[in-house]
Formats: sequence, structure tokens, C-alpha cells
Amino acid sequence: MDKRVDLSEFGLSDAELFSRVDTDTLSAEKITAPRYSYWHSVFRVFFKKKLNIVILSLLAIIVVFAYVYPLFANYDRFAHVLVEGGKHLSPEKAIAQHPNDSAIHWILGSGGAGESTFDAIWVGSRLSLSLAFICALINMTIGVIVGAIWGFSKKFDMVMQEVYNIIGNVPYILLISVVVMILSASFWSLVFALTVTGWLAIAYFIRTQVIIIRDREYNIASRCLGTSTFRIALKNIMPFMVSVIVTLTATEIPSYISYEVFLSYIGLTMSDISLGKLIGTAQPSMFTPGMQIEFWAPVAITSIITIVLYVVGQNLGDASDPRTHM
Amino acid sequence: MTKYLLRRLLHGLISVVIVVAVVMLLVYSLTDREKIFGNDPMFTKKASNLRIIYKYEQWEKYGYIDYVTYNEYLIDRTKSGEISEEERAAAVNIAPTAEKIDVNGNQVVSPYAKGDAPEVSKYVHQFVEYYEAQGYTAVRLNADYYSAKTGKLNNGGKQALFVYKDVPLLKRLLTYFGNIFTVDNVHYVDSSTDIGARKLTFTLYDPAYTKPDGTTPFSPAIIGNGTRHKYLLYFNDQFPYIHQNLLNISMGTSYSINKGVDVYDTMTLTQGKYVKQVITYPTGLIEESADDLHSATYIAGSHDLSETISDRFTDDYTNISTIKASKSKIGFSFVIGLISVILAYLLGVPLGILMAKQKDRFLDKLGTIYIIFIIAVPSLAYIFMFQAIGRAAGLPSIMDVNNESWKMYILPIVSLALPSIANLMKWLRRYLIDQMNSDYVRFARSGGLSEGEIFTKHIFKNAAIPIIHGIPGSVLGALVGAIITERVYLVPGAGNLLTNAINANDNGVIVGLTLFYALLSIVSLILGDVLMGTVDPRISFTNKAR
Repeated sequence: MDKRVDLSEFGLSDAELFSRVDTDTLSAEKITAPRYSYWHSVFRVFFKKKLNIVILSLLAIIVVFAYVYPLFANYDRFAHVLVEGGKHLSPEKAIAQHPNDSAIHWILGSGGAGESTFDAIWVGSRLSLSLAFICALINMTIGVIVGAIWGFSKKFDMVMQEVYNIIGNVPYILLISVVVMILSASFWSLVFALTVTGWLAIAYFIRTQVIIIRDREYNIASRCLGTSTFRIALKNIMPFMVSVIVTLTATEIPSYISYEVFLSYIGLTMSDISLGKLIGTAQPSMFTPGMQIEFWAPVAITSIITIVLYVVGQNLGDASDPRTHM
Repeated sequence: MTKYLLRRLLHGLISVVIVVAVVMLLVYSLTDREKIFGNDPMFTKKASNLRIIYKYEQWEKYGYIDYVTYNEYLIDRTKSGEISEEERAAAVNIAPTAEKIDVNGNQVVSPYAKGDAPEVSKYVHQFVEYYEAQGYTAVRLNADYYSAKTGKLNNGGKQALFVYKDVPLLKRLLTYFGNIFTVDNVHYVDSSTDIGARKLTFTLYDPAYTKPDGTTPFSPAIIGNGTRHKYLLYFNDQFPYIHQNLLNISMGTSYSINKGVDVYDTMTLTQGKYVKQVITYPTGLIEESADDLHSATYIAGSHDLSETISDRFTDDYTNISTIKASKSKIGFSFVIGLISVILAYLLGVPLGILMAKQKDRFLDKLGTIYIIFIIAVPSLAYIFMFQAIGRAAGLPSIMDVNNESWKMYILPIVSLALPSIANLMKWLRRYLIDQMNSDYVRFARSGGLSEGEIFTKHIFKNAAIPIIHGIPGSVLGALVGAIITERVYLVPGAGNLLTNAINANDNGVIVGLTLFYALLSIVSLILGDVLMGTVDPRISFTNKAR
């Protein structure tokens, strides 16, 4: 398309159309580039994908159901234990059984104590999600800090390699069982058990990443120019690490939920209801005709939660890599 | 290279020792030692003081404490000639209570509540002082009266005196590692026991193969008397045909999982249906039985315990295991694990290549969905899913040792292989794409190499190196077994041994398994490095080559 416009159409003189601009030495010195804000770009790239918006809304729904819904559901496992014929019901029967309740409670039928499976799942999710978030927060914080020092200090590296070799070979289940045995099986003892050595693997991963970036040419150049190690770590290496850390967190959070499910299955369960405990207790219903929903409902919702968390984290990790901001 | 590997192996072994020490600290010092009696029927049968004594005896047996009774102390002193037999006999009977008090702690009322006689008291004091000086704690259990008036005791309520001390970690560690390998010898049986001439006999006609007609076919064997095992060397029709009992491995004795049996045996003994064959017992009794005469070990005084035993055996070598038709625990785990590892590499490698070649196209996206599913979904959930699908397809969903068929292996193998495939796909794709974007590939392309050549000769060779590094680990890892898979499909494998041992507080098994796992992990890392160095000549572990 030809964009040129014939100026004679307007019937204006040259003096009206043009004015003289003086040379501005000050502005000539200014470097103009498009404004770049790191986090702004991260979210721009993240929301460019339509799938991410869908997944993020799913995550929002999950969080609301796990943290807000139980406040209104008044879940009590044994509230319906005396209701005759109220146990192990299919959704239709359970809704018919409780005409006074809103149907949402009984949308997944009832469990072994006549309780609502749907409510139980979200009460369990709250605990499992909290466990995953708290463990991830603690492990990532300690892991990243220790890993950064580990990557920079050669002396520390020698010591930590040995620690890693030894603790890495102590069976993890044994460690958790001993902690649970000593401290009783509560939420916080499980948090302690999962974090007491859990940070080590993260620290090792971060250490390897730091070592890879530490000796790149631009950092050697930076050091030659007299930049302090602290500043190199903060300004030269940190930006590279953000996407690594976010990606790692994305794998860590669902893994704690999976781990809790696994621990419940082998008998190291918390006393409060969690997703793992729910799946473990409902396992006998798996092959009982008419009761399968009791088992598959928590399994399906756990899977959805972990997949959503993982995908959000991975895509956020991709978006936080500055190379994708072009 | 050899020197480097030996140094690494040595370094690894030191780590293993520290790992075992850490685990010992965890299980012996930090857990409640009363818990080991939770599943012990002998413990519940005993009452009163006898139960307390039983506890200390078992703790000594399983390495928690050093435990010496007053009686043992006196016998030792008699043996060394410090006191005479008469003095010992007089000193051995301690009074029901240490002081002249009755059962309620008041001054003497009952004639049965009295302090030690002076000739007893002297040795009791010496005993307690001697051991307390060494850091022992003395325990005196007063008689447990059913009735203070008649002096009738409760069942097992007899008074007792003993001292005990916790075994220090270092000593426990040294004893443990010192006893891992034992060489059987003719002095195994207690020197005070008369068992005839202690010797090793070499025979060309193994008596265990005696036929019902009394003839014995040619089969060399070495038979011991005074040793732990009766048969030290023998031949049979099982691979590797020649078997020995001379060098024994003991990794830790089980307390509750498989009482009194070593972890090594628990993992390697056959399971399932008995294999019966006509055998001739040492006494000449001919019977159809699954007994494996070659496994006979010595138990003092066992010959006269029951008629069943004395009818069959001529000596105290009566402790025998049986031959069963199916694989051992480790055998099951290894077969399932190994097939799934092979399957994983056969499928995972081509699929990973396909994903990398089709990057960002349909197949790559499909593969990514599969990988996300496996990584994100709890493994328990998808194993149950596979089980339900397999069941719907008519496959056996649980394993039955007594009724083996090849079909029952399918679901466990698939359940183990699918996550490994996802993992291989994920990493191989990542490595391949990294290589594809590197400069040397562009250079090769500009040099006129065909795409196929570039891929097979350059990209794949480089990308495969980290994958190859993991092969020994996954093969040896198959020996460990899988916890969830084996539980869900009821596989009689080794994977659940550790969790079961933890639940039953079986410290011997826990320590033995830790040693086994740690050794496997060290060996597989070293083997991985060796393999990687063989495949890629650029990798060198010695500085000189550079």
C-alpha cells in the first residue's frame, strides 16, 4: 500500500507545514531503547498463551475450593455416621438421601462413614496443598541459599559433597519414619521430616547450575573489572537462576503432594484427613461395584491439582527465562 | 584409570560405613526400643520379672546392650579359678529382696522378705561395683509376690540381678562390619560340647544323594563336623552347580520380619510351593520331602528336642531350609525390574528421538502430555489406573506365587516401565534438542553432511552419553525392587522389605538393607562413569591424559 500523501491537497504553504528544529546536543546523548521491565515481560509472555489463562483460572478455582469452600461446608466426618443406609452411596442416591443440603455436597456420593466425599476431598486438599506449599517454601529457601554458597565456595563444596554422598544414601523413608515415630504423626512433624534433608537435593541442583554459569566469560570479565562476588551473584547470576528456580518449584510442589499420598499408602499417615489418607482409606472401594467413585474421585482430583500446579509452574518458568522475552 | 577407580571405590566404601553409622544412630538410639516387642508372641506369653529379663536378653541378642547376669559373673569367676565351686553355689542364691523389707516397702513382716545372706551379699556387692565402675547400670528385680503371707510368687516373678550397658555406636559398627563375612571353621561349635572329632571330610559320594535302594551316586562334597554348616561344598543341579557354605555373608539378623534369619537369606531364599522329592535322611529314613539336606546348620541340643527330628537326624545339624518352586524375593524384583528397564530403553529411546525430530509438532505435544501426566500425577494414582485398566482387559491384577503364569508379570512390568519411558523421553529429547542447536551441527550441515549422517554420527552420539551413564544404575536398581508397584500387585519381591522392617521396628533388617542399597548406589555410579568413559573417549578420569 502506498502511504505517501500528496501535500498539495491541503493547500498549505511550506512555512505552515515545516518548522526548523535546532540541534539538541543533550538529547543526542540520550540512548533510547524500548522500556524493559523484567516482571512485566514475564507476565506479558505468560499471558500471551491462551492455555495459561485457562490453567490459571483452574488453579484459582482449586485454591478457592481448598481454602474457602471448607469454611462453609462444615465438614464433620462422623456427622452422618448414624444415618441408616447413608454409607457408600452413589451421587444420585446421596443427593436424594439429603434433600435439605445443597446438591454440591453430595455430587460425588458418600463415603464409608456416610460423609460427603466432595467435602472430604477439599478438606484433604487444603491440608495437602498447605503441606506442599510450606515444604516447598522451606526447602527452596534453604536449598537456594545453601546451593549458591556451595557453588561459589570450593572449601564448602568439599564438605558438602561428602554430606551429600552420605545423606543421599540414607533411605528417605527411614528418615521420615524415624521422625514421625519420634514426633508423632502430625502435620508439622511431616513438614519437619520432609524438609530436614529435602533441601539437600535442591541445593545440589542449584550448585550445579551456579557452577555452570559462574565460570562463563562475562562473569570472568566482570570479576576482572573488580565486581565483588556478592554483586556477581546478585546481578549476574540471579537473573539466570530465576527461571531455573521457578521451574524447580513447579516440579517440587506437586512432588510433595505425591509424596504425601505415597507415605499415607505405606502407613506413615497424618492423623488429620489429607488427600493421601483419603486415597488410602478408600482403596478397598476400588474394585467394589458401585463404590468405585469413592476411590477414583480423590485420585482424579489429586491428579488434576498436581497437573495444574505443574503446568502453571513450568509455563511460568518458561516465561521467566529472559531469552523468551524477545 | 584402575588406580582412580580403586580410590573411588575406597572413598565410596567409607561413605557406606558412615551411612550405616547414621542409620544405626537413627534406629538404635532415636527410636523406642520397647517397640520391637510389638509383634513378638514370646514376649506376650511371659509375665512379671521374666518378661523384663526376656526384654534385656533380646536387646542383647539384637545388639542394643551389653548384658551380664549375676550368675554369668559367678560362673566366669569360677572358671578363672578366683572362687571355688562351693563358694559359687553358696553365693548364687540371692534373696527375694535386696533389703529387709516386705513387698510394700515396710520393715520386715514376712519371713520371705529378707536381705541377702552375708556370703551372698559380698559377691553381689563385688559384682555391682565391678560393673558400675565400667559404666554399667545394675538392675535388681525383687521377687514379685502373689501373696506376701504365703510367699507364693506370681508367674515368672522370681527375683533377678543383672547389669547392662548400651552398646556404644563405634563398637556396634565395628562388630557389624567385622561379622559381615565369616569363614566357617571347625571351632564354631562351643568347645565344651562333645561332638566327636572336629574335622572336615572330603567325600566323592555325597550322602545327601543316597537313593532309596541305599546306593549313593558320584558327587563330591566337603562335610564338616564342628562347623556351623554341615555341607561346606557340594554340587547340585541348580546354577552355578557348585555351592559353598564356607564363606558366609551376614548383613543383619531379623527380629520380626523373618525371625532369626539374616537379611541376605530373607532376600535370596526361594518362595512358593514346596518341591518334594524322595530323600534319605541321615538315619536312613526315606521320605518324600522338600527339605534341603545341604542347608543343614548346627543348633546345640536340637537333636533330642522332638521325635520328628531324632527320627531323621543323627546329630545336631538339624536346622534346614526347604526347597520351594518359585523365585526368591530379590529374584522376583530383579526379573520384573530388569524386563521393565529393557522395555524402557527399547521404547523410550526411539520415542525420545521421535519427539526431538518432530519438535513442536503433534507427536512432540502428545509426548509432552504423557510426560506431564507421569511427572505430575502421584505414582500411586497411575499405578492404580494401570491396574484397573489391566483388570478390565482380563489380565491377572495380583501375583500368586503358588500359581505362576507369565501373564501375572505383565502389569507390574508395564507399571514400572511406563514412568521410566517418560523419564527417558524427557531427558533424551532435552539433550537432543540442545545438541541440535549447537554450532558444530550447523558447521557439519554447511560442510555438506546429510541430515541422517549429522543425526546418527554427531547429535545422537553426544546426546546419548548422559543416558548411557544411567544404565548401570537402572539395572542394579532393579535389584532393590519397587515399593508401590510391588504392594499394589502383591509381588513377593524385595521392594517392600524396608517399609515392612520399619513398620515392625526390625533394626537388623533396616541396617542390612541400608548397607545393600548404599553399596548398590556406589557401585552403579562408578560403573556408570566407567561405561561413559568407554563410550566417549574424550572423558578421562585421570589428569595425566589431558
